[in-house]
Amino acid sequence: MTLSFCEKVTNQLNSGVIVLDLDYRIVFWNNFLAIHANKQFKDVCDLSVYDVFPELPKRWFERKLNGVKQLNSPSFCSWEQRHHLFELPHTRPITTDSHYMAQNVTFTPIEDKGQLTHICILIEDVTDVCHYQTMLRKTLDDLAMANRIDGLTQVYNRKHWEECLAQEFARARRYDADLALIMFDLDHFKRINDNYGHQCGDMVLIETAKVIEELIRISDTFGRYGGEEFAVILPETGIAGALDVAEKIRQRIEDIALLFNEEPINVTTSIGVATIGDDDFRYEDLIAHADQALYEAKALGRNQVAVNKTLIACV
Amino acid sequence: MSSSVLICDDSNLARKQVLRSLPEQWQVDIKTASNGREALTLLRDNSVDVLFLDLTMPDIDGVGVLQGIQKLNLDTAVFVISADIQPEMQNKVMLLGAKAFLRKPVNAEVLTSNLQQHGYI
Amino acid sequence: MSAFNLNEDQQDCLQELINVAMGQASDQLARYLDTFVDLRVPSIEQVDASSLSITLNDKTLASAIVSQGFFGYEGIRGEALLVYQSQDSLQIADLLGYEPGELSEEEQLIDISSILTTTFLNVFASQIDNQMSYSAPRLLSASQNPLVEHVENLLFHWDLALKVKITYRVTDFSFNCDMILLIPESAISNIKSVLDRILEEF
Repeated sequence: MTLSFCEKVTNQLNSGVIVLDLDYRIVFWNNFLAIHANKQFKDVCDLSVYDVFPELPKRWFERKLNGVKQLNSPSFCSWEQRHHLFELPHTRPITTDSHYMAQNVTFTPIEDKGQLTHICILIEDVTDVCHYQTMLRKTLDDLAMANRIDGLTQVYNRKHWEECLAQEFARARRYDADLALIMFDLDHFKRINDNYGHQCGDMVLIETAKVIEELIRISDTFGRYGGEEFAVILPETGIAGALDVAEKIRQRIEDIALLFNEEPINVTTSIGVATIGDDDFRYEDLIAHADQALYEAKALGRNQVAVNKTLIACV
Repeated sequence: MSSSVLICDDSNLARKQVLRSLPEQWQVDIKTASNGREALTLLRDNSVDVLFLDLTMPDIDGVGVLQGIQKLNLDTAVFVISADIQPEMQNKVMLLGAKAFLRKPVNAEVLTSNLQQHGYI
Repeated sequence: MSAFNLNEDQQDCLQELINVAMGQASDQLARYLDTFVDLRVPSIEQVDASSLSITLNDKTLASAIVSQGFFGYEGIRGEALLVYQSQDSLQIADLLGYEPGELSEEEQLIDISSILTTTFLNVFASQIDNQMSYSAPRLLSASQNPLVEHVENLLFHWDLALKVKITYRVTDFSFNCDMILLIPESAISNIKSVLDRILEEF
């Protein structure tokens, strides 16, 4: 068989070209397909595309090609939505996790004298793009996560926690909803560090974060505010509910049985509670109120819960 | 005797396209309108034999003009020339008394054969 | 007035070409989708880079945007943005005749976008004796409000653009979407010469 000039050029392409007649029989394919599908053109010539590629989703494929025929316009299939259409092996068998070549596929109508006669399918190998994009996406996800998480305790860091508070605050103001804030600080934490070393202090912070995270509700946002201070945002929660949670936190921390070098470590916490009030125009106001209550709890002798003064009348 | 013709379309280009597509031998006195309101005023104040009417126009659209013609009880022959060629729209204007529905861009041969068919040339 | 502004005749000519293309495209779509498709009279405006994001931003939040580049002879090129609201994307499977779950929502969006863009632009191109090629449609984002962000990224490439907005409505399926064609400055002058050629014929 002698090849036309165009066929010779097509055979140099590092993309697949398949031409189908209107009954979806293969009337041409280039060298790329001969290699990757491991079938010479003469062996597939005039065969139905479904017989050569039984993996094709027939209903979808038919619908796609009908659109091309009826609207006389191209149609596309990207690896981002459908990793591959044709099960062709790829050239990076070791470094990628898929068995098949990732593909961008284009279907275009071929006309002769104003009459649609064929459909051309162009298959581009985008395995590399797919591989790097997938890696990039994973890295970005990891980065975004790392940006929100406190490295030591694995709970939200202050920056992200404050962003959450800003949002919840705005929502509560807009819908006139309840919002409570709990801030707590481990008692005499400096003493633990001084007596047992920073490794022990770190262990206490990690364990505290772990037990509190198990305790709070899914709608609450728990974060490390700084040092040995933690904070919980409680949306749709009034003062009674917030006090209930605060007392549970206090109790839970008092009950943790911690050992460091086989020596028991006792930890307690002082807790400040505040709820959103009419005079709170910025979320920082709420933090300031909870903070004031926290100092109150410390002043009253630690290991207890205190409510912001302006709220005492309501309790 | 020459016929009185009104071309109503908001597009200058479209009006020119109709004008150029009219058969040369047809003796006509031509007026133009760039919206439905203008057309209805001209139709009311003049006797117009043939109206070439676009459908999609600001203010009063083609359908509004057809309704106005029915209300005023005029015997103007309306040839709708529209870009909106979906069957629903064609049925609608034919029910409102249009003589024919021609698709844009208007073609001189199609226009001539329609005018012949309805005995205007 | 900028040298890139279309004059009144050019504007009228472009508007008429687009109206006719819209009509034929909606007819083709109606046959293909087997339902009545309403394309609303588009707005054509010249926007400069700095105000473009503002004019696009007046819309409510878009749930998804699909972008598809187009290019024809005589230097006619641009980018089509298909803007969907969240309630619209739920209707697409029905509209395209897919079984529930047959296609991911993203793939449906890509499919319908490509159909709307290429159908309209093919008809438009044939009116100016041109032929369009297309890049593969790309989903920009399925959440938040990435339209302005995306446009801001485009602004590196142009100072002025022609913005054509077309609204598709398929009432039987309560499906709506906006197609925004952005034609960069360099392509505007090419379009203007095409329009002038058409106007000269009349």
